[in-house]
Amino acid sequence: MLATTRTFSLLGIEVREVHVEVDVCQRGLQTFSLVGLPDAAVRESRERVRSALENSGFDFPKHRITANLAPADLRKAGPSFDLAIAAGLLIASGQLPAERLEGVVLAGELALDGSIRPVPGTLAMAEAAARLEVTAIVVPTANGSEAALPQRPRVIPLERLEQLRQLGSVEEPPPPPSAELSLNGAGPVGPDLSDLRGQPYLRDALEIAAAGGHSLLIVGPPGAGKSLAARRLPSILPPLSRADAMEVLRVASACGRLANGALPTQRPFRAPHHTISTAGLVGGSSPPRPGEVTLAHRGVLFLDELGEFSRESLEALRQPLEEGRVAITRARGAVELPCRFMLVAASNPCPCGRGEESGECECRPASARRYRAKLSGALADRIDLSVAVERPTAQEMAAGAPVGSAGVRERVVAARERQERRLGLGRCNADMTLAELRDATSLTREARRTLAQGHAQLRLSGRGHDRVLRVSRTIADLEGSDAITDEHVARAIGLRRRGSE
Amino acid sequence: MTSSVWRLPRGDEGYPAPLQDLDEPPAALHGIGDAGLVSGIGRNTAVTIVGSRNPSSYGLEVAEELGYLLAGAGLVVVSGMALGIDAAAHRGALEAAGPTIAVLGSGPDVVYPRSERRLYERITSACAVVSEMPPGTVPGPGCFPKRNRIMAALGTMTVVVEAAQPSGSLITAEQAAKLGREVGAVPGRVTSRVARGTNALLAEGAGVIRDAQDVLDRMVGVGARTVHRDGPALDEELVQLLHAVADGASTPGAAAVAVGVAAAEAAVGLARLELLGYLRADPAGRYERTSIRAPEATTLKP
Repeated sequence: MLATTRTFSLLGIEVREVHVEVDVCQRGLQTFSLVGLPDAAVRESRERVRSALENSGFDFPKHRITANLAPADLRKAGPSFDLAIAAGLLIASGQLPAERLEGVVLAGELALDGSIRPVPGTLAMAEAAARLEVTAIVVPTANGSEAALPQRPRVIPLERLEQLRQLGSVEEPPPPPSAELSLNGAGPVGPDLSDLRGQPYLRDALEIAAAGGHSLLIVGPPGAGKSLAARRLPSILPPLSRADAMEVLRVASACGRLANGALPTQRPFRAPHHTISTAGLVGGSSPPRPGEVTLAHRGVLFLDELGEFSRESLEALRQPLEEGRVAITRARGAVELPCRFMLVAASNPCPCGRGEESGECECRPASARRYRAKLSGALADRIDLSVAVERPTAQEMAAGAPVGSAGVRERVVAARERQERRLGLGRCNADMTLAELRDATSLTREARRTLAQGHAQLRLSGRGHDRVLRVSRTIADLEGSDAITDEHVARAIGLRRRGSE
Repeated sequence: MTSSVWRLPRGDEGYPAPLQDLDEPPAALHGIGDAGLVSGIGRNTAVTIVGSRNPSSYGLEVAEELGYLLAGAGLVVVSGMALGIDAAAHRGALEAAGPTIAVLGSGPDVVYPRSERRLYERITSACAVVSEMPPGTVPGPGCFPKRNRIMAALGTMTVVVEAAQPSGSLITAEQAAKLGREVGAVPGRVTSRVARGTNALLAEGAGVIRDAQDVLDRMVGVGARTVHRDGPALDEELVQLLHAVADGASTPGAAAVAVGVAAAEAAVGLARLELLGYLRADPAGRYERTSIRAPEATTLKP
């Protein structure tokens, strides 16, 4: 007898529908074969399904069994097909009426004892199910809250395989309560800016970076608070819109990070170690998996010790930074992953960290020079702001707690609103085109003179010049000023990236 | 420009006279570039600037400035084209379009260190490199101490900018002193490794070199010429910030604390000073003083 069930296969952060056809044939040897380009985890599904059935009070048919995952040319990965295969097997062997699963899609990994484990990508599956207009989606209980986010179709959370018997009856588990995303609610969450003692200039730079969406480089000796400051950047960024929050959740779901039922709506903060591979950073492998840049979507990607990252990894960041998406092309088609993030990088001034002018630097001249060259070359044309910091003095540490994130965030939100009025919804100064930059800059005469001086004295390149203008625009926005003054330009010049032009 | 190697044997009329003061003058000098520049080194025209291969940015700044101003004042700047102080001194001299001679430990046609190839090309096309070693000689142990004695002999005065202890720069200074040449040293921080050698020289009685004027005073006589670069006038707030940076505040945060203004205000002021040439920023974005002086009327603090 033949049965067909429906499930999804995860590709990047999107899903494709997969039909599972199970045929139980009375003749022939007792075998269980699985076809349709399964990877190792899918092929092992046979063993999990066999044990789970037997431990859930079902019979494993002692016949020749063939399961086919269609379309056959799509590579299938991961254990999320278990539940659909088991359900198909139950129907084909007459242990479950076919009508129970009419118009239902299933996803779930089976444990040997018959319990159902969470799977990645449930949110995208529920959304795809809504588009396909199925009547219900069966998901592991742990994934229930994310599956309920799209409101449609009906979500049936299952804990154990034997609960398949309850489908369509009064005993069927009730759908999880539809979750509401708390977007604007309680204000900033996570580590607060008030933890950053002293360092007023670094605070200014963080605020400017957040206001304009500018990428930021922080250079200073160990202990100067570089990574402490970077970790507090998400708390001063504007709250996520509902659409953006859904994008963040979709990525988190595809990486299996929502399985505890919580639906976080703060901006992500990712800090990969400098030994990370290029595929780990931008995504890759086969089938393609999201990298750190995608996990940082709508949030902050923090590269500590920028000079230590491999050249290839940093080069690979160019396209994502410019386009806000990663395209991973494989022989069997391309996957596109979103990655609009703010880049924050930190670095020591030299390999030993003490800095050359300290007089205590122990770096060899050649290695110090290599380090500097790498630092100034690294993503040179992608970093808008650079700020030098020192260790805070004892007085600064002892001073009272400074302003927290909430106050700073208000100013950032106001500056972003000005930018959106000018550029359109969701846009910020960092992604202005050159034409928009020209339109958006009304410089005072003194500002123009200061800029010209920068050109002559500091040998600003064309690109450096544009970047100074862009940052000046953000500083003016923070002050609620339409015109860019001399002071705005001077501050932007002080924050420009050195040695890269 | 000439890229062919010339040779000045001892006894030739072009052989630089100061070398005769050595116990064992080189049998011949091999060189590339302007041979007349080398021959013309008389008793009063050259200053040797040497120092650490691993200097601080302060040392580099001072060496480049000395090279610039002394070459601008008409002295021939002699150095060894090593990484660090030597290269900075040559660069300063070239910047002022003034004369400079690189004394190499290798053959005159062998670029060592190789990373200074561009500097080597600038020196050979505008000025001259010389060596005791015949063309093609690869530098080996022993080459550099021998080279140092030539540098010591060529300069009427030898100025050490930064040097560890012991170091090649100190050997040069010692040989210069033995030849009866003036020795000067630039004072450094007592805690700094690269200032240990120079501070020790000062303790032994070497001349204190704070700027190019100090060198000229010693070589040509007090008040003979004045050299420094003047910048445009500054208002009081900028002067205070300038002093703060001179006192070691290298970031806007530190300068703001020192002067007692908001960080944003200090940042604006420092950017202005950078635009006026009073400050420069390293690749990390930390400010340091250039040697441009504020005009007298605006320098307030004693």
